[in-house]
Amino acid sequence: MPRSTANSNRAQHCGAEAHHLSRRSFLGTVGMGTAGVAANMGVIETLTSPVFADELKRNQKSVVLLWLAGGASQLETWDPKPGVETGGPYSAIQTDISGVRISELMPKMSQRLSQHTAIIRSLNTKIADHGGGYQLMDTGRRPEPGVDFPHLGAMIAHELAQQDSKVPDHIEMYTSTEGRRKGTAGFLPARYNPMFLTDSMMPENISRLDSISDADHKQRADFRAMLAQQFNHGLNSPSVSSHNSAFERVRGLMSSDYLFDVEKEPQSMRDHYGPTQFGEQCLIARRLVEAGVPFVKVARAWWDSHGQNFETHRELCADLDHVMSALLDDLQQRGLLDTTLVITLGEFGRTPRINGSLGRDHFASAWSCSLSGCGIKPGTVYGKTDDLGNTVVEGEANAGNLFATIFTALGIDPEKEYMLGSRPVPMADFHCPPIAEVLS
Amino acid sequence: MNSTLKFERTGDWSCQDILFSMVRLDDAERFAIGSSDFKIYEIDFSAEKPERQEFVGEGHTSYVTSMVVANEMVVSGSYDGHLVWWNLSDRQQVRRQQAHDRWIRRVAATPDGTRIVSVADDMQCKVWDAVSGDLISSFTDHPELTPHHYPSMLYALAISADGQLIATGDRVGHVAIWDAERFEKVGEVEAPGMYTWDPKARRHSIGGIRSLAFSPDATKLAVGGIGKIGNIDHLGGPSRLEIFNWADQSEPVLIEDDQKKGLIEQIHWQPDSNAIVAAGGDHKGFINLYDLASAKLSAQSETNGHIHALASDASYALFHTAGHNRMNRFKLSLNE
Repeated sequence: MPRSTANSNRAQHCGAEAHHLSRRSFLGTVGMGTAGVAANMGVIETLTSPVFADELKRNQKSVVLLWLAGGASQLETWDPKPGVETGGPYSAIQTDISGVRISELMPKMSQRLSQHTAIIRSLNTKIADHGGGYQLMDTGRRPEPGVDFPHLGAMIAHELAQQDSKVPDHIEMYTSTEGRRKGTAGFLPARYNPMFLTDSMMPENISRLDSISDADHKQRADFRAMLAQQFNHGLNSPSVSSHNSAFERVRGLMSSDYLFDVEKEPQSMRDHYGPTQFGEQCLIARRLVEAGVPFVKVARAWWDSHGQNFETHRELCADLDHVMSALLDDLQQRGLLDTTLVITLGEFGRTPRINGSLGRDHFASAWSCSLSGCGIKPGTVYGKTDDLGNTVVEGEANAGNLFATIFTALGIDPEKEYMLGSRPVPMADFHCPPIAEVLS
Repeated sequence: MNSTLKFERTGDWSCQDILFSMVRLDDAERFAIGSSDFKIYEIDFSAEKPERQEFVGEGHTSYVTSMVVANEMVVSGSYDGHLVWWNLSDRQQVRRQQAHDRWIRRVAATPDGTRIVSVADDMQCKVWDAVSGDLISSFTDHPELTPHHYPSMLYALAISADGQLIATGDRVGHVAIWDAERFEKVGEVEAPGMYTWDPKARRHSIGGIRSLAFSPDATKLAVGGIGKIGNIDHLGGPSRLEIFNWADQSEPVLIEDDQKKGLIEQIHWQPDSNAIVAAGGDHKGFINLYDLASAKLSAQSETNGHIHALASDASYALFHTAGHNRMNRFKLSLNE
């Protein structure tokens, strides 16, 4: 890990507040008011031309996070160790990158690495319980008492969402109950909390009541807007503006229900993703990013293979390999992959040691993830573990490094600071430079 | 448990590897064992300090999951999809052939030793000439995908004592019974309780039919696996044995045991038809004796490692097991 990267990045800035702030977050802050709920966040933002450049650069970028809930095994996915005592029964297959092999359980992805994907094989995140691991890998830092750090989706949404967007900013799909943990906006405005889909893939309570006609609904909205405009005339209250903004988004959200309807897709496209729930969710994720949603998380449970690890991965990797490949192909064919970052990540990996139930247990010392698409140098394999997979021997990276890499890939300065009262909180944790080798 | 019999553990040998298969080589205590190091070894448990002697040849490139003896040869199957024939006398490899496209789960031999039968995750049951290695037939009644669109697995295989029937059992609890000469399906049994699909909390399964055995008269079929699991991250469900009159599926018997949890990996139906010995486990191992008259467990013992393989002597009084980092000998005797 080139530790100097962070310093060099920091050295490129003069330290002025303006470099860390965006026009949209300025507008977002003004707009949030009482509804925005960032009462403890004293953000002061300034409009400057470099920031506008950043804005343009980041325009329309999106993230799809494929969350492998419970912790997938790096040995059965991205970092196989065939033929050693920890290796398990699966073989490794040659990929389309010379000298790089991944698990035989990922045959489709093995032929897409050189086009789309970088693998990081050297995560050492240390926390190997589900709750702590989730918190770490979804916020990029260890928790601190009294600080409600925003989760990845909220930060991405805050940075990438269009202020006047008619679609949701942050959507998380998790229809398996085990391991369900809600990402939150933390100290960011509540707008960036996830729309959370659990019992079905269609958001609840966004349909117009049958008892109200569409014309009535529009007239009520117009009437409300007129009253609000009169009320705010000469007042210029951020709270009123925020209310207006929220109401303006309502009809957009109501009319976005079609995005969640997989039957709107031709059968050939549905076949392309396959019939599993994970496949349908990823197809919806593509529809959402295509419509401008900046962050979609699709959580696929439950990889926690304390027993029968090899059966579990044979079952789940088939789904992951097919659906992830279908998603990347589809995004590429639509010209969206250059602006969409697809992350596969869980809260940790699995132990190299095989336990008595042919399982692998929690393991956060040497595990893997992948990044595909936007801002990523495809075909890169970063980091290395030892022959048995027990330790990282090259390119050790932590959660902060990964978050800095994700932000940088999206054109977001990972050192951008949110001000929590008088305390600056950088988007990526302190002293965590991005992994330059995987960035394009 | 009201038993007049007990299992007494009379041998306990630890090892570094995981042993998935074993087959008795003589009337004494000489066995071949198949390992997670992809190798096959001969071992004599009657020795004061049993030592392994490795079979020699190209062999396997993954776990050795099943073995049989036929015509003075050991035939091994592996997750690498290959069947390998080994000469018993000098432990040299005789033949190695690609047999299946996916993991071989179980290999069996017909009682007359003329044919080898294998099942694998390509969901095919294949019959081979035991001498030439030629494929005689390939057939299946098991879909490649589960009803939830995930890869299925064909774990279990049994051949009746008269060699006339073959049974195959899969991940979702379907058993097909085949005429062993014409390779036509003659019956089927459903044991969906073995599937353990969790549709809500975890959205995957962990169970499946792991073992099958015909009764000596071939009228009944015993099916082994695991019952309902609260948390399918672990093998934390009751061992589950179901017995069917397979021809008409009348009066099925279900015996579950919560004391020693886990999968039933092996079933041996004793020749007198009144008892079954089964072995398996979760992170630990169990060996169970079921009294079929009362449909209850009548004896049970455990070991510190999941049992994958079970072998019995001709008298069905001495049992050897192999599994996770451990081999054991159990003696079935009167409870005095």
